[in-house]
Amino acid sequence: MKLLEKTSRIYLLASLVIYLAVGVAFYWIIKYMIYDEVETRLKVEMRDFETFIHTHDTWNNNSYFVENKIEVIPVYGEYDPSVIFKDTLIQNRYDEGVGPFRQVTFYTVIGGVPHRVAIRKSMMESYKLIEAISAAMITFLGLLMISMFLFQRRLSGKLWKPFYDTLARIKEFDLTQKEKLQLPQSEVTEFSELDDVLKKMADKMQHDYTSLKEFTENASHEIQTPLALINARVEQFIQSKDLSENHTYWIEEIYHASRRMSRLNQGLLLLAKIENQQFTEAEDMDLTDLLKNKLADFEDIIRHKEIDVEMNLGGSFDVHMSHALADIFLNNILSNAIRHNLPKGKIYLESETNLIRISNTGHDLKADPERLFERFKKESAGSESVGLGLAIVKQICDNYGLAIEYTYNETIHSILIRPEGQEGNG
Amino acid sequence: MKILVVEDEKGLAESIVDYLSKEGFTCEVANTFWQADEKVSLYQYDCTIVDLTLPDGEGFGIIETLKKIAATTGIIIISARNTLEDKIKGLEIGSDDYMTKPFHLSELNARVKSLIRRRNFGGNNDMIWREIRVQLQGRKVFVNEKETFLSRKEYDLLLYFLSNIDVALTKESIAEHLWGDHMDSADSLDMVYSHIKNLRRKILERGGKDYIQSIYGIGYKFAAS
Repeated sequence: MKLLEKTSRIYLLASLVIYLAVGVAFYWIIKYMIYDEVETRLKVEMRDFETFIHTHDTWNNNSYFVENKIEVIPVYGEYDPSVIFKDTLIQNRYDEGVGPFRQVTFYTVIGGVPHRVAIRKSMMESYKLIEAISAAMITFLGLLMISMFLFQRRLSGKLWKPFYDTLARIKEFDLTQKEKLQLPQSEVTEFSELDDVLKKMADKMQHDYTSLKEFTENASHEIQTPLALINARVEQFIQSKDLSENHTYWIEEIYHASRRMSRLNQGLLLLAKIENQQFTEAEDMDLTDLLKNKLADFEDIIRHKEIDVEMNLGGSFDVHMSHALADIFLNNILSNAIRHNLPKGKIYLESETNLIRISNTGHDLKADPERLFERFKKESAGSESVGLGLAIVKQICDNYGLAIEYTYNETIHSILIRPEGQEGNG
Repeated sequence: MKILVVEDEKGLAESIVDYLSKEGFTCEVANTFWQADEKVSLYQYDCTIVDLTLPDGEGFGIIETLKKIAATTGIIIISARNTLEDKIKGLEIGSDDYMTKPFHLSELNARVKSLIRRRNFGGNNDMIWREIRVQLQGRKVFVNEKETFLSRKEYDLLLYFLSNIDVALTKESIAEHLWGDHMDSADSLDMVYSHIKNLRRKILERGGKDYIQSIYGIGYKFAAS
């Protein structure tokens, strides 16, 4: 839920409750005041009546021409001589309607006989007054509420604008680019503080990113250069005519070690670059197509190892990724399938829409299949591989939202690739 | 044939010069950007080998200068940086080749020779060594003037040998030359062996001599004796 929507809702709910409470309270206050007024007048009339009775000691309904206003009934037997106010409905004289009245009932002695006297006052006018006031109040409160609501919306929209601007800028901000994070200046202290903090953080991140990038590049350069020197010297050395068997053995070892180290360095550098998302250029491509082309690169070795390749390719696997990485990705998977294959083994390439499965025959797997994606995990110790191939593959998958699975059953090793979030339906 | 080697790592520069001198090239070394800049302005070279990262500048600057004053000079970049951007930039500003460190001297030698051949003869000449003649344009090979039919890889292998006569070549450098550096496995060394076997057989079939000697533990050498 958006911030503005949330505050609007809370505001609306709170003002509804408050206005309702205010309205109800107001209604009761008006009602109380009107009743108070009516009752005071009834009391005055009651006193007038008693004064009249006291003077004349008699009552004649005719002497009071407004019908129903005073009702005098003689009481026989026990009675409770208290004064009671109550609401009552009485039929009008002229029309059929029934009108609300307030009535006071009391007892008095007329001519030696106790009488119950009821004096009434029409509440018709008062009720109309209450209705009018209530209607006016509801209208005004409603209008007030709506206008306050709209005002509040506009206000918070305006107040939060710098925040949303900042948010939009952060979303657009790309760590890997050289452009610094630019944030609009805000008058509000909190927002300008937020902007300052964000700017500092972004600058620090960019700085760290650049220095890490430079470090990995420089480290690689610094390592590759001495390795190049070792290689070159070895090559010069092997030109000597009089090398003993021991010498050639040592030289071969040095040569191999330096080459391995170079590979390791390149692999780690590549991993770091992928992790740092330094491969920013990307294009749309079909992995299935690429796989077909890639296979041609391995033609020689496939023929050499007499591996039988069975292709069953259909559908397309569209990805948006760096071409260089896509190439490395398929290269590593295919060379893995070839390297760990049996002589005269088989490779199965299967694909359908958004799914590629590359399987190969191979030796029993000793390790946990999922752990093969870890760095420096390799099945056969001492082999030529440095154990980074699948780790690189995994990292590429992670970066481009692909899921990869390694499964193994009955000497068939399979690697399954599909877009993330589509697991379990293929 | 004059070659300028621009490389700040003195040992490496020395190795390159040493190796290429044996192949009959006249080599000069520049260890810094300014030294290189001065040399390319003063002298004419057939080929320049440029390292990109120099203590006082980027190798790209030298290439740009070279392209302005001597467009015919072949340029090979040698760099520890193997990013695609660097490779593309290198080719865009006019270098002919890009090699990532560490590289094989034999490979560098082969590329220098191939570059000079292309520059000087447009790849139109033949490469002749004893009874073997390689017609570069048609990718045809003749032994004692009888054509022998080589596969693509065997042809590449022969050319690599002919560029590195009487030089001990490691199996790894041959494998890398034939399949690129991504194909690193014991299998590719086996494949080198089988290709060499085939090449040797095909040369012998046409009455050629067996020039391919194997060097125990290291690799092979193509030599007259």
